[in-house]
Amino acid sequence: MKVTVVSRSGRELIKGGLELHDSATVADLQEAIHRRTKKYYPSRQRLTLPILPGSKERPVVLNYKKSLKDYSDGNSDNLTIVFKDLGPQVSYQILFFCEYLGPLVLYPVFYYFPVYKYFGYKEERVIHPVQTYALYYWCFHYFKRIMETFFVHRFSHATSPLSNVFRNCAYYWTFGCYIAYYVNHPLYTPVSDLLMKIGFGFGLLCQVSNLYCHLILKNLRSPDGSGGYQIPRGFLFNIVTCANYTTEIYQWLGFNIATQTVAGYVFLVVATGIMTNWALAKHRRLKKLFDGKDGRPKYPRRWVILPPFL
Amino acid sequence: MAGFFSLLRRLYLSVYNWAVFIGWAQVLFLAIRTLRESGHQHVYNAVEKPLQLAQTAAVLEILHSLVGLVRSPISATLPQIGSRLYVLWPILHSFPEVRTHFFVSSLVISWSITEIIRYSFFGTKEALGAAPSWLMWLRYSTFLLLYPTGISSEVGLIYLALPYIKKSEKYCVRMPNTWNFSFDNFYAAILVLGIYVPGSPHMYTYMLGQRKKALSKSKRD
Repeated sequence: MKVTVVSRSGRELIKGGLELHDSATVADLQEAIHRRTKKYYPSRQRLTLPILPGSKERPVVLNYKKSLKDYSDGNSDNLTIVFKDLGPQVSYQILFFCEYLGPLVLYPVFYYFPVYKYFGYKEERVIHPVQTYALYYWCFHYFKRIMETFFVHRFSHATSPLSNVFRNCAYYWTFGCYIAYYVNHPLYTPVSDLLMKIGFGFGLLCQVSNLYCHLILKNLRSPDGSGGYQIPRGFLFNIVTCANYTTEIYQWLGFNIATQTVAGYVFLVVATGIMTNWALAKHRRLKKLFDGKDGRPKYPRRWVILPPFL
Repeated sequence: MAGFFSLLRRLYLSVYNWAVFIGWAQVLFLAIRTLRESGHQHVYNAVEKPLQLAQTAAVLEILHSLVGLVRSPISATLPQIGSRLYVLWPILHSFPEVRTHFFVSSLVISWSITEIIRYSFFGTKEALGAAPSWLMWLRYSTFLLLYPTGISSEVGLIYLALPYIKKSEKYCVRMPNTWNFSFDNFYAAILVLGIYVPGSPHMYTYMLGQRKKALSKSKRD
């Protein structure tokens, strides 16, 4: 079968096209493109079927596991594929690892090292118990997230654009330093002992629940990340669609109840906003996918992310 | 019902645009008259009230964008209006020491000419359904000159205010307090100046894109 690869402007990407055997898969095509172009490794490629000019429809993205025949209307020997360069890619594991390593390393710097003398404060400071517990809590949280990245999460997409690394790291690292600065401050004012215990206790409970949620989500997908979208069930998922976000948000709330800094609450609000956007999108997608028609199950009535509000 | 709402929307936006237009026209008139009669040191005092009113009314534009009353994205309106309001209130209003500088005149003139053209353009568009092509050309061309003069004046005024901000401790919050919060107005001003560095070229290229889009479209029609 002869495959013609064109850019979105219609220019031929590979002169003379590619000759592939009839049982070739989309992955084989991607390899062939990579061999000819050198620069565009498979995860950089977005391959779609051409759309009619003026058509408002979204183009069909080719699934790398499918056979090329599935896209060529059965008998045709010629196939035209539209190629888009997604730019440099990194794996999701690397992306998440970079995001979480920053807060995990930077937070203890504020606790252990005399950074505050550079902000014009006296060197000696009295460390409150809550500041020590906060350090352990914080480091446990990010250690858990790194471990989950490598041993629990199954990603539906293998890679993400390289530019996301810079954006996401800027977000996590800056907020990490901003919160660490206030919690470890020499003039820090602690909350009452009871409030501290409630905060950390509630937060830890939420962190454990969050891990359990992630294990449930992992089991919805097969080891290679496929399996598409499923209705998550069990534990808190019976009440709320994105229980993993719910527990993450309440976990930060626990940290903030115990440490009480404006910086921490600002982070909580921003993070809740971001996760709410994701949750609304996922809830909508699941409701559309499981509409209860033609034998498909109907998506059950559930909160989106923050019961009893949303 | 839909027709009624779109009529109401157009009526509201017409009134809003022309009302703010009048405010800016007053600002420009007062600024030029003061410049000719008594010199640039007195411009701020002459334009203060209408300037504050007209520029602060732009907060409504963020709201319009949020509720979908206008098409312009919030990512474009927020930085533009935010930086203006920053210069207007935490700088000019709070630190009278910088009000006599010539930058106030270049600032007020750059802002007011831009806004007079912009509000009359949108006002005409909402009221009549279309704006004359020369007004459209002005709307998408004057920024080529007025953006640089306006932004330089904004940056200049913030820079001039820095020593006074540092000395006065105005708006500063210090530790310790129960909410473990602190705010240093001096570092906030430095941060704002830092945002101008990537922000200004970004907004300028955004406007260049808008210009290309708008003027090529009008040629086609």
